Amino acid sequence: MKDLAGTLGKLGFLLLSLLVGLLLWQGFTTFSQIPSFIFPSPEEVWIRLVIVLKDGSLLKHTLITLQEVLLGLALGLTAATVTGYLLTKSRVVERLLSPYIVASQSIPIVAIAPLLVIWLGPGILSKILTSALIVFFPVLVNTIVGLRSVPVELYDLMKSLQASSWQRIVKLEIPASLPVFLGGLRIGATLAVIGAVVGEFVGADKGLGFLVNVGRGLYDTALVFVAVFTLVFLALGLYSAVVFLENHLLSWQKRNDD
Amino acid sequence: MRIKIFLLTFMITILAASCSGMPSGENPSEDLSHIRLPMGYIPNVQYAPFYLGMEKGFFVEAGIDLEFDYAFETDGVALVGANELQFSIVSGEQVPIARAEGLPIVYVMAWYEKYPIAIIAKSEQNVKIPLDMAGKRVALPGLFGANYVGLRALMGEVGLEEDDLILESVGFNQVEVLAADTTDVIVGYIANEPVQLKSLGYDLDVILVSDYLGLVSNGLITNETTLAENPDLVQRMVSATLKSIQYAVEHPEEAFQACFDFIEGLENADQEVQFEVMKTSMELYQTDPYGYSDPADWSNMQDVLLEMGLMKREINLEEAYTNEFSQ
Repeated sequence: MKDLAGTLGKLGFLLLSLLVGLLLWQGFTTFSQIPSFIFPSPEEVWIRLVIVLKDGSLLKHTLITLQEVLLGLALGLTAATVTGYLLTKSRVVERLLSPYIVASQSIPIVAIAPLLVIWLGPGILSKILTSALIVFFPVLVNTIVGLRSVPVELYDLMKSLQASSWQRIVKLEIPASLPVFLGGLRIGATLAVIGAVVGEFVGADKGLGFLVNVGRGLYDTALVFVAVFTLVFLALGLYSAVVFLENHLLSWQKRNDD
Repeated sequence: MRIKIFLLTFMITILAASCSGMPSGENPSEDLSHIRLPMGYIPNVQYAPFYLGMEKGFFVEAGIDLEFDYAFETDGVALVGANELQFSIVSGEQVPIARAEGLPIVYVMAWYEKYPIAIIAKSEQNVKIPLDMAGKRVALPGLFGANYVGLRALMGEVGLEEDDLILESVGFNQVEVLAADTTDVIVGYIANEPVQLKSLGYDLDVILVSDYLGLVSNGLITNETTLAENPDLVQRMVSATLKSIQYAVEHPEEAFQACFDFIEGLENADQEVQFEVMKTSMELYQTDPYGYSDPADWSNMQDVLLEMGLMKREINLEEAYTNEFSQ
């Protein structure tokens, strides 16, 4: 009962915050009399949203971007986890790869994205890779930190129990490093959206990034807002999914804490 | 303590250096009208007349303190439409599109006579006429802007539909994808992509959109407020720009030299190619008479944009442009 009241309270604050935000926005556009092609009002954005929902174009472009994001996230996640594990377990691999990995982080993704279009063509692959590249580093770092945070005594315990390598990974390393790893996944999930959109900005004829470009090209700023808000919801949805996963997978930890 | 003094001295030196390096446009003289001019593209030899006009003092003579702004073309149009800026250089199709969306912009001077878009293919592709594009992969920056409008206008003129070819959005990487054979045909600017590809040794077939259809091309825009409240400023801006264009056409070598002060790294680029880019763009200029905009081109452009669905409504073209200041 107490939990329900707390949840309703939080929801109430969220709705109030949204309402105040909308009122401030509407007030600003009304009193400043700023042209809609510079800053549209919430009403104009709502009208545009209804139009693109009705003609199905928003759903079409959202599904394309979502596809790129999920595939990019999966690729980035897999590559980062495997590389992170190898870096933690092998000094040689760490010394060989670390300079490249660190250096790669100083390269802005917007500089790489046009090259990916040239190398991989204008299709979905270049967007997936852009997304995967941006996801890679935060997940990699958290994988390494997570694996290194496993207490040495637990390794000794597993050894004394004559656990196999597979058992050590499944029974010890994955559960012990999961909290930190999922923290990286939270960041990666939102970054994956940015990565896919950067790829679409460079060269695409579908997706929410393309829709932003179309809006800008036609001075239809309300459409740009619709696409941007959709991207925000997409990122929030993915973030919430990771939080849900975290609550589910780490329920044992909470029980232990209690 | 020593470290602190060193850091302080270092920061003061950096600040002083930044201030002394500021372009003159950021500190305009009180007697001159300060104009920030969005160019729509990065610093490039295609803007040689403007650079030359600055060097020769044509804009200062006209009472204008000119500053270049290399923001996106659509941002420049929006800022002029909102009367945040007075002028911008834009591609012709932007004016009807923007006016249909309620932006009160007016085209006051034609810079290019010919629409600068071309269809480019390696000779072995055998693309001699627009219909030869049928069934081929055609790469362009995206389904927006002058490249797309030029392509669609040409397709409409010869009866090609979008389904007849495979359109590929590749960003501004047309030269690279054609060179790498990851596409068959590209759409680009006559003065840019073909010149670069030829310099790399490729034999090309180039089809000019302007050979098939007259379309309003690059020019100078202002807004209705500036036009109504400060026509003298518009006249001075147009006159100085036209004087710069005319002088550049008559003195191409001098125009090219002027570019070095405005384009970082030009001295390290292939000088022959860059000069050729500038010369080719000059062949597109509206020179007889300078600055004149053909009503037929406006009509064609509106028809194309309406057909493409890029304009929500038909506009009164007489409100969209004027030849008053270029006469």
